[in-house]
Amino acid sequence: MNVALFLSVLAIAACGLIYELVASALASYLLGDSVLQFSTVIGTYLFAMGVGSWLSRYLTRGLVARFIGIELMVGVIGGFSSTLLFLAFAYTGAFRLVLYALVVVIGVLVGLEIPLLMRILRDRYAFKEVVSNVLTFDYLGALAASLAFPIVLVPKLGLVRSAILFGIVNAVIALWSTFLFAELLGTRRALRAACVAVLTILTVGMTQAKAITTLAEDNIYSDDVIFSRDTRYQHIVLTAWKDDLRLFLNSHLQFSSRDEYRYHEALVHPGLAALPGARRVLVLGGGDGLAVREILRYPSIESVTLVDLDPEMTRLFATHPLLTKLNGGSLTSPKVRVVNADAFVWLDQNTEMFDFAVVDFPDPNNYAVGKLYTTAFYRALERHVSRGGLFVVQSTSPLFARQSFWSIVETLKRARLKTYPYHVYVPSFGEWGFTLAAGADAPPYAPPGTVPPGLRFLAGPDVAQLFTFPRDMQAVAVEPNRLNDQVLVRYYEKEFDAINR
Amino acid sequence: MSISRREFIAGLVAAPALVGLTNKAPRPIAGGFVDDAMGVGHSLRDGRAVPHPRDRRRVHVAVVGGGIAGLSTAWELDRRGARNFVVLELAAQAGGNARSGENDVSAYPWAAHYVPVPGPRATLVRELFVELGLLRDGEWDERSLCFSPQERLFMHGEWHAGLEPEFAMSLGDRAEFRRFADVVAAQRATGQFTIPSALGVSRASALDRLSMDAWLREQGFTSPRLWWYVDYACRDDYGASLRQTSAWAGIHYFAAREPDERGPLTWPDGNGWITKRLLAKLGGYVKTNAPVSRVRREGSRWRLTSARAEYDADIVIWAAPAFVAPYVVDELRAERRRTGFVYSPWLTANITLERWPAERGSQPAWDNVIYDSPGLGYVVATHQSLRTFEPRTVWTYYHAFADLTPELARQELVRRDWSYWRDRILDDLARVHADIRDCVSRVDVLRL
Repeated sequence: MNVALFLSVLAIAACGLIYELVASALASYLLGDSVLQFSTVIGTYLFAMGVGSWLSRYLTRGLVARFIGIELMVGVIGGFSSTLLFLAFAYTGAFRLVLYALVVVIGVLVGLEIPLLMRILRDRYAFKEVVSNVLTFDYLGALAASLAFPIVLVPKLGLVRSAILFGIVNAVIALWSTFLFAELLGTRRALRAACVAVLTILTVGMTQAKAITTLAEDNIYSDDVIFSRDTRYQHIVLTAWKDDLRLFLNSHLQFSSRDEYRYHEALVHPGLAALPGARRVLVLGGGDGLAVREILRYPSIESVTLVDLDPEMTRLFATHPLLTKLNGGSLTSPKVRVVNADAFVWLDQNTEMFDFAVVDFPDPNNYAVGKLYTTAFYRALERHVSRGGLFVVQSTSPLFARQSFWSIVETLKRARLKTYPYHVYVPSFGEWGFTLAAGADAPPYAPPGTVPPGLRFLAGPDVAQLFTFPRDMQAVAVEPNRLNDQVLVRYYEKEFDAINR
Repeated sequence: MSISRREFIAGLVAAPALVGLTNKAPRPIAGGFVDDAMGVGHSLRDGRAVPHPRDRRRVHVAVVGGGIAGLSTAWELDRRGARNFVVLELAAQAGGNARSGENDVSAYPWAAHYVPVPGPRATLVRELFVELGLLRDGEWDERSLCFSPQERLFMHGEWHAGLEPEFAMSLGDRAEFRRFADVVAAQRATGQFTIPSALGVSRASALDRLSMDAWLREQGFTSPRLWWYVDYACRDDYGASLRQTSAWAGIHYFAAREPDERGPLTWPDGNGWITKRLLAKLGGYVKTNAPVSRVRREGSRWRLTSARAEYDADIVIWAAPAFVAPYVVDELRAERRRTGFVYSPWLTANITLERWPAERGSQPAWDNVIYDSPGLGYVVATHQSLRTFEPRTVWTYYHAFADLTPELARQELVRRDWSYWRDRILDDLARVHADIRDCVSRVDVLRL
């Protein structure tokens, strides 16, 4: 017997099993409870195959053309099954209905394949040979598919492209059958054209699979991604859901527009409102311009210098309409100068003096950023703060990362600075901490009695309250963070691992 | 349908091209051997004629060798008020093992790249470091101490923080590492292992007559991981294997360091940073391209023949490798055939990377060591940068020939061409950074 012919049986069987596995796997990914999903999908599928086999008796004429038509239908429906399921989950409430409907349709079609093929081959070979060979290759195909699916297909191609790939296999077999059984076919041209059309559709689907999954995932993760870019320094993602705008840097939430005012008012005003004579302000990090927005509330401020590493970040927050609305166009104010530079090096290379400085870096979750939280860094910064001036440091959470928070305070102390730690509740972050620092010879800091008008969170008399720590956030004995011994990064890793576990 | 064998093979060749796996032409990698004064060194050894000088000068002290020893001598002489002295350096650039290079990415060391934080007994080094601004009011300059993370080790497919092979260690291994630390602490307490070593107990120790591997066996250490760790230390510090290192020297590596040191001191250009500062102050005393070919007694003085001039000196201070002296100093000729210290050759390479390669595990450290590699790993020259992001970098790769005798290793170093060493180095690094060849633009090799 023709081995190639039976290899196509193997391929058909593999395709059938792959669609079954794709549907089961997707259902367990999206709905959970994998035992239930696998068992109901496989059961429904096998039952539908039985229905297909039974229906095959009603197909009497033009068997080869029917077989090719079925192959093409399986190719299209099976090939796009996972795409359809993804989209159904993302956009409709009827995922289960679509799932079982698809499983039944594919199952019926696959159930028709083998009986039809056996009848086509009946006239060519002895019946016992047909049954033996077709079923042998059928089961072999099942084995090949079940091994390839978890080991190769899912890890290398993913669910969407795996299904489409096997759709292509079905269509290729359909096309090949037009040659293999040419003598049994009347009009071949129309069938071949259909095969080519199906192949084209599937190939396009294969190349566009990523766009399809992104589309679906955007919907699965509720918020719309309105901006996403890999810059030289970081991965910037901006999401929007109703009136909530969120910024993620390297997947870490930086702010939510619903409560960022709490964070930024608390960051800026306890320090700056206490310095009525302040004219010049420095902001390190904070390329979102939100701290600058708060600084510009003081009419007496003459200039703000913002030093942020990433030009794409400051450009985005100076131009994107949703973002300039949020930061009040602070980055394009004539009082503001934006410098794109590495903060530590910039401090070393400049001699400019400031009355107040805001240090708003990402959390110290790696040794590169950790350099910006060291005694050496704070000493370098202190040289740029005028006598009697202050600076404030975003200091992580005194509740979730208690050691990290107090390590930052300890680091400032070891840099021979006076420290005034305080904290605030920001719903999207939780309890968050800041530290005000002043030179050793500066007069003691006293919380301001008034704050600029128009704030949503802080009122003058409330500022002093921020400086009391409840028992579960009070100081613990920790080491300072130094360039040559970055304990802070280790504290931070340990504390956030404990939360994420 | 049938496919001929020819078509089938043609298909096999074409198939990767269809799926976009065409073999890209490899990135060109520049570089070569840097001037290692090997020729001058060999002509000294072979007693070949060196150009005869016409000038004759009279100095109080002549220092032979402009490496860190010669420059430190000059610093001390100058500090004591001496002015009539000269430092004679064979190479075009002073610094010896503490010399450095620089390109548009970073400065980088050519050999010695750090100084352990000197303990209270290393008074002279501490005085020098106070003068260089490294030690102020008893506090070390944070920017010159090695930044976190200091070390990492590649094993079982990814990088792990720290140099001790702690990953997936058995209880037995762990117990041996603890016992080793106890033994080292006990040896430290004997007071024999000090820096400077002259302060330690001077009488010959029984440990001198034992090799490090014999000592480890005698102490009952069997953990392969501990053996690797100690072997790495000997290769790293002495360029020698456990068999070639005396137990005294092997223990010295561990026991002489300050137990809770938070160092070492290091700079992008390694110890070249110290050399540059010494030269800035004392460069006037240093004569480069001045190999000393002969030193002999001449009445009550010494006469030195160098390429530039003949010097009559009251005192000669030999600050060059000791094994060279018998070939230069007439009075030491008898020492030539005596087997004393053997000096191992080294290979260092400075590798310029246009981007950081792919890797797995803990973040890049200053010193990056590969478990079970014949190399000693690499040191990142930009590690001491204050930037949070360095797009390009320079790595200094070290290789000691501990598996060969020094003579065989030297022959190997001379015989092989640059492209051989480039490939050997990149092959070693490719074990841990698969795309290293796409990142490297230069490999400069120095044979020491």
